[in-house]
Amino acid sequence: MARRYDSRTTIFSPEGRLYQVEYAMEAISHAGTVLAVLSKEGIAIAAEKKVTGKLLDLSLAPGGEGMGGEGAEAWMGGGGEKIFLLNNNILAGLAGITSDANSLVNFARNRAQQYLFSYNEDIPVELLVQRLCDMKQGYTQFGGLRPFGVSLIYIGWDALYGFQLYQSDPSGNYSGWKATCIGANHSSATSLLKQDYKDDLSLEDAKSLCLKTMSKTMDSIKLSSEKLEFATMTLHPETGQPLAKIYRPSELDELLRTLELGGTKEEQIGVGEGTGGGGGGEGNVAMST
Amino acid sequence: MECAFAITGKDFVLIASDMSAGRSIIQMKSNENKITPVGPNLAMACGGEPGDTSRFADYVDRNLRLYHIRNNFPLPPPSAASWVRRILAESIRSRSPYAVNVLLGGFDTTTSKPHLYWLDYLGTKADIPYAAQGVGMYVTLSTMDKWWYENIERREALDVLNKCVDEVKKRVTIKFDFNCVLIDKDGVHSLDLKSQDPIAELEAKVAAMKPSDPEPIIPSSDAPAIAAA
Amino acid sequence: MNAIIQNLSTPSHLPTTEEDELKGYGNLDEMGRIKGMQIPRVPDPTAFLNLYTDSMSSNPEAKIKLAHGTTTLAFRFKGGIIVAVDSRATAGSYIASGTVKKVIEINPYLLGTMAGGAADCQYWETYLGMRCRLYELRNKERISVAAASKILSNIVYGYKGRGLSMGTMICGWDKTGPALFYVDSEGQRLKGDLFSVGSGSTFAYGVLDQGYSYDLSDEEAQELGRRSIIAAGHRDAFSGNTCNLYHVRENGWEFIGNYDVSQQWYEYEAKKKAAREAASSEMAVEV
Repeated sequence: MARRYDSRTTIFSPEGRLYQVEYAMEAISHAGTVLAVLSKEGIAIAAEKKVTGKLLDLSLAPGGEGMGGEGAEAWMGGGGEKIFLLNNNILAGLAGITSDANSLVNFARNRAQQYLFSYNEDIPVELLVQRLCDMKQGYTQFGGLRPFGVSLIYIGWDALYGFQLYQSDPSGNYSGWKATCIGANHSSATSLLKQDYKDDLSLEDAKSLCLKTMSKTMDSIKLSSEKLEFATMTLHPETGQPLAKIYRPSELDELLRTLELGGTKEEQIGVGEGTGGGGGGEGNVAMST
Repeated sequence: MECAFAITGKDFVLIASDMSAGRSIIQMKSNENKITPVGPNLAMACGGEPGDTSRFADYVDRNLRLYHIRNNFPLPPPSAASWVRRILAESIRSRSPYAVNVLLGGFDTTTSKPHLYWLDYLGTKADIPYAAQGVGMYVTLSTMDKWWYENIERREALDVLNKCVDEVKKRVTIKFDFNCVLIDKDGVHSLDLKSQDPIAELEAKVAAMKPSDPEPIIPSSDAPAIAAA
Repeated sequence: MNAIIQNLSTPSHLPTTEEDELKGYGNLDEMGRIKGMQIPRVPDPTAFLNLYTDSMSSNPEAKIKLAHGTTTLAFRFKGGIIVAVDSRATAGSYIASGTVKKVIEINPYLLGTMAGGAADCQYWETYLGMRCRLYELRNKERISVAAASKILSNIVYGYKGRGLSMGTMICGWDKTGPALFYVDSEGQRLKGDLFSVGSGSTFAYGVLDQGYSYDLSDEEAQELGRRSIIAAGHRDAFSGNTCNLYHVRENGWEFIGNYDVSQQWYEYEAKKKAAREAASSEMAVEV
């Protein structure tokens, strides 16, 4: 009989709280920041990569220098650590335990394909969010299971509601936003966004607001592609179909230079060496990004 | 022994079907409705193996309604047709296949376009502007080929439909009675083919309903993109 | 995760002992549900069964002769529902019985008719009676005819293609008034005012359609039902012997009587002859 309770890590405390879920959320508030801004013309999302040290060989990793060659589509350029394409019309930025995140991304991609197989239509954004949250919720209730240590920001477009921005946390809660942020310093970033957000932003405004808030939130003042992933969701000017673009490192650096937020190679090498590989403890960041 | 046909127009779809039911050569009923509304702006005419037809219509209806309830919007006609096709394709590979042929007509409220799909029990799907199923196919397809044109108006489309009904009555040895529905942005309406001007009757009915109409169940496409901040 | 959940939610005490299996009765489990039918263990049970059964003399060599051949009818009118059936059971060309009850009294308010396989109809309509009684006990009101017929339709549709043969009419009086449904083993279920089922149904229709009106009096309606069965019993080799007549009213059904087909037929013939003679003598007087 005792084993039944031992195996259940997700039970209410006498005060009526679910500690496991709260711990999971706490773990995420140390992870790399992910921030997104919605506009009528499209959505911008930026994610902070925790640099794990100069000996880590990223040249063949997704979004590394060896990837995204000739003929590559817009979404193939960068990302791979924090920002993922879930479906034609949906991108997600993740904060939390990387291995949990990979499993969620795989699940989401599968569900999106299943929907396409059934209905011959891209999955509506909120529906995919719901599918993921249903699964996350399940892990907060069944004994012997551990909640996913991942929060997500979803940006996407569908024919019914147009551009949408959602956020979900380990409890399986989700909500829609005009601009939001998860991960380290999310509360200060959110209040900055609250001050600067306007309803009639253009896409360029959204991109700029997204990156400017990011630069104020992150520890280093100068941003660069080494520490950042960036993507947009827009509509193709000719076909009117959703267009997901994950920026290549070179494209992102160029954008950062035009916004005068950094983007030069020399400076960020300095930053990488100076911090000795990111904010928190070395072991911690390797697992949590 | 059945007969159904459908015509799309500028902003609507018309579906007509016979109403006979029976066993072999005996007609046991002449007023059985075979057109099922399967969504706010979607309807389906089912023909084929007796028993299978009404059950298949029920199955589709309830699954599409479940989708509507779960997701707060109905599945648009192209996706609904893809789904129905897949069900038929899975069914024919199962132990007890549904032997049904379907005409699925609907109005897509997100793009404001009418759609018509011709599906058979093998899992074939065709997206076409006008179609026929059953014995009527042999005599009415040419009628529709001749008289149908793109963006046809309601009254003209109904004329074509009546030509088809006449032709079936003239050339098919079995006696059929028909009923008919019109699907447009306002929903699925039944038309009385025997009345003088069914379109005028329908317009009057819709106009009378409008003011007291409650909020539409389906959120319109310009609803806010953001749920709750 | 699903596997884990399954593990956690499956009760550990699955009925595996012999004792557990002995609960229930016949085909029914301890909850009164159908456990399932025994089916020959061959790839195609239906084809296997067809080799050894003879339906409507189509396969005379086969040793198992199915009881087939029937005329049943029911119609709705202002006074309720008339149900009339014949009483002959044939197995191949042999008359197995002349006193079959083809109206199954499901409960005091519901009647079911029997056409097709006698055993199939008897078994499933008796079972339907049980389901209707359970409905009454659970909901404290009588089941509607629509719901009862749907239960039957759902059951037989589940066995579609497995050789069930039934063509039945469920007749009764509920909150909506008199109601009549046709249900068959194809899964078809039709609501209607007038149905006839069985090999003699065509002959019954021939009389019934010509005399039917919703506004018939009770006596006229009963006579129409009786006359139609006699007509079919006379013409159809697989129907005959006697006619059973029922009348469904607001307070339940009533058995009106049992009539010998040939005796009735000759009475009708004599009446017809007498009427013709009377007419011609009138004519003679007029001349």
